[in-house]
Amino acid sequence: MKSTTASQAAPTDLATTGTARVRKEPRPDGRGPRRGIRRQLPTSPWLFAAPGLAIVGIFILYPFLSTLNNAFTDKRTLIEGDYVGFANFQELWHDEMFWIGLRNSTLYVLGVVPALVILPLLLAMLVQKHIPGITFFRSAFYTPVVASIVVVGLIWVWMLDERGLVNALLEAVGVGKAGFLSDQWLLLLSAMTVTVWKGLGYYMIIYLAALANVPRELHEAAAVDGAGAVRRFFSVTVPAVRSTMVLVAALSSVAAFKVFSEVYLMAGPTGGPAGEDTTLVMLVQRVGTGLTGRVGYASAISVVVFVVTVALMLLVLRADRKEDA
Amino acid sequence: MRISRNPRRAVAAGAVLAVLLPLSACGDGDDGGGSTDASGKVEGEITFQTWNLKANFKSYFEGVVDGFEKKYPGTKVRWIDQPGEGYADKISADAAAGTLPDVVNVSPDLVAPLAKAGLALDLDKSASKYEKEYLPGAWKSHQIPGMDGTYAFPWYLNTGPLFYNKRLFKDAGLDENKPPTTYDELFDDALELADKSDGKVATLANVPTIEDFGRYGVPLMNKEGTGFTFNDAKGVELLAKYKKLYDAKALDGQALTATPESTGKKFLTEAVAMNPGSALDLEKFKKDAPRLYKNIGITPQISSTGKDNMYVMGVMVNTKTKQTPAAVAFAHYVTDAQRQMEFAKKVAIFPSTEGSLDDPYFTEQDGKDETRVRVAAAKSIKTAVNYTPVLFSEQMKVELRNSVAKALQGKQSPKEALDNAVKNCDRLLQQS
Repeated sequence: MKSTTASQAAPTDLATTGTARVRKEPRPDGRGPRRGIRRQLPTSPWLFAAPGLAIVGIFILYPFLSTLNNAFTDKRTLIEGDYVGFANFQELWHDEMFWIGLRNSTLYVLGVVPALVILPLLLAMLVQKHIPGITFFRSAFYTPVVASIVVVGLIWVWMLDERGLVNALLEAVGVGKAGFLSDQWLLLLSAMTVTVWKGLGYYMIIYLAALANVPRELHEAAAVDGAGAVRRFFSVTVPAVRSTMVLVAALSSVAAFKVFSEVYLMAGPTGGPAGEDTTLVMLVQRVGTGLTGRVGYASAISVVVFVVTVALMLLVLRADRKEDA
Repeated sequence: MRISRNPRRAVAAGAVLAVLLPLSACGDGDDGGGSTDASGKVEGEITFQTWNLKANFKSYFEGVVDGFEKKYPGTKVRWIDQPGEGYADKISADAAAGTLPDVVNVSPDLVAPLAKAGLALDLDKSASKYEKEYLPGAWKSHQIPGMDGTYAFPWYLNTGPLFYNKRLFKDAGLDENKPPTTYDELFDDALELADKSDGKVATLANVPTIEDFGRYGVPLMNKEGTGFTFNDAKGVELLAKYKKLYDAKALDGQALTATPESTGKKFLTEAVAMNPGSALDLEKFKKDAPRLYKNIGITPQISSTGKDNMYVMGVMVNTKTKQTPAAVAFAHYVTDAQRQMEFAKKVAIFPSTEGSLDDPYFTEQDGKDETRVRVAAAKSIKTAVNYTPVLFSEQMKVELRNSVAKALQGKQSPKEALDNAVKNCDRLLQQS
């Protein structure tokens, strides 16, 4: 009876502590604690997790550690290379293209993130209303998200070409042609426009979900107190979706810093005129691929990209915590 | 406590092993490889990789494979075709993983790093008996400066004329039947065309590439293959002339970011007056731009050296193949005179085998434009040169292009820009 009580106590104990700790209960014959079956208890969760862990290990952890390791070598595509300490990072310091890439990636964050935090929110408020036909507009705004970036890039390249639709319109109204695909800054701005255009629908959906949780009573109370639409937006809507705005800022800033496709498609493989529109990820692709690719050096750039994106995330989350405090 | 931790450790260790064991198989792909002796019996299974040829020439290559397997019973050829986009990346991934096919379609600039890494078979050692079957220049095209040996069979060659738009020439008051034949004439005509069209029609759509420097007579590399020399006075002169064209809008405004595809499109839409091409393009003009086709003018490449530029394709044998005799025999079979001639009749390319260019197909006119282009190109290819140095990698091409763009934008002088390009290319050469 005593032993039954004791054995019943074990699961209760486990449940209350929430750990996989196994108690060592003495056996009735006095031979010390039983180890057999209970010992296997913590194994099963690991077995369930094993396939996932293997995938994470092979496709995320190993490449990450390998990149970290390569960053300190002079490895080439076909040559293993030797450890060179911080030589790659020292070279980065003196590499003009690295600084151009860092500048453009940073500018991309500064240009794209505010737009992607604010515009989708406004769009979400616009399509939030339950009026006939609104589903069509929600779907329409979401269409660019599901469109292939290559297709999107090509369409924008055609539109922004010297003889494209936009320049034809500008010429028709007497403004004259603009070098959307040949001027260094206009090219970067064009690529940012494509990123914002393509991302609007995605973040709009996130905001729609957040807006659905804003209590209607708050708006009604504010309206009763005489608050207009703008006041209600800043005093009710914005505080209610602030966490979502932080999430959007974090997601979009990381994506913007790692931008590749839009700039590559619009600026070409050289990264714009004289490579002036190259972003850091484009630089990784350029120096690290091909038969003569400098894998070690490209890995060093990747490490910088990683550090900056982590810093960006921490910065955004820290700002959020400060707001909460 | 210890009881519960041990199994965790065991599971964790198992998970780590599960992750690392498969990865340990990745290694450097050095599985011992095969022999460099190609004199044994031709047998066994080999893989053959081509570069974007399946879409249009599937039946031809299936016929080649069937023919080889019949000629050498006991052999089997598995044909793999890779898309043109990212082909070098695909080869590098295969080479790094040790899964490079036995016989690979390559260009000279792809052969160079593979040969340096010991992955391309030296044909001077293993298949020198075939050398006399090929044009001497073509055989040499896969030799690497600083290394002894020849690392791929020459396959097809390509060159082409310069197309020009007669209507645009005429509208600018130029004689549409007298296209430029020298660089001076080209630059003069281009400036006049831009002037007469108020900068709306450019003559050229691309910045000068390494082969343009070569054609202009600029020495590209030292004889030892240890450094580039295209920043000499002649190179600076060419770049200064292009700068003048760019400022006058005789060079297209988007030339700094142009690709061969985009420049082709500009010519199709009659935004630029001249563009290099091949006999293949005539069909495209006829189908996609009939108005342009009506006004198309064809003139030889402009060259100060008297030699046109040509592009060379090759077929290399992987040193790691386990079937060296079969791989060498197949690489030779694909590139021999009979197969090259058959292939040339299917597509506008030129064989690299001795005597093939004397075939009436390449010498006799039949009144068609395509034939006129083919006969002219075949004549020029006998003396043509592959101006792109085999050691000039993709990264180097970008360096040159960016430096040229800086000079054209006026951010650097032509001399300064080319000095920087040479310095950066030399650095990449040392690191390769």
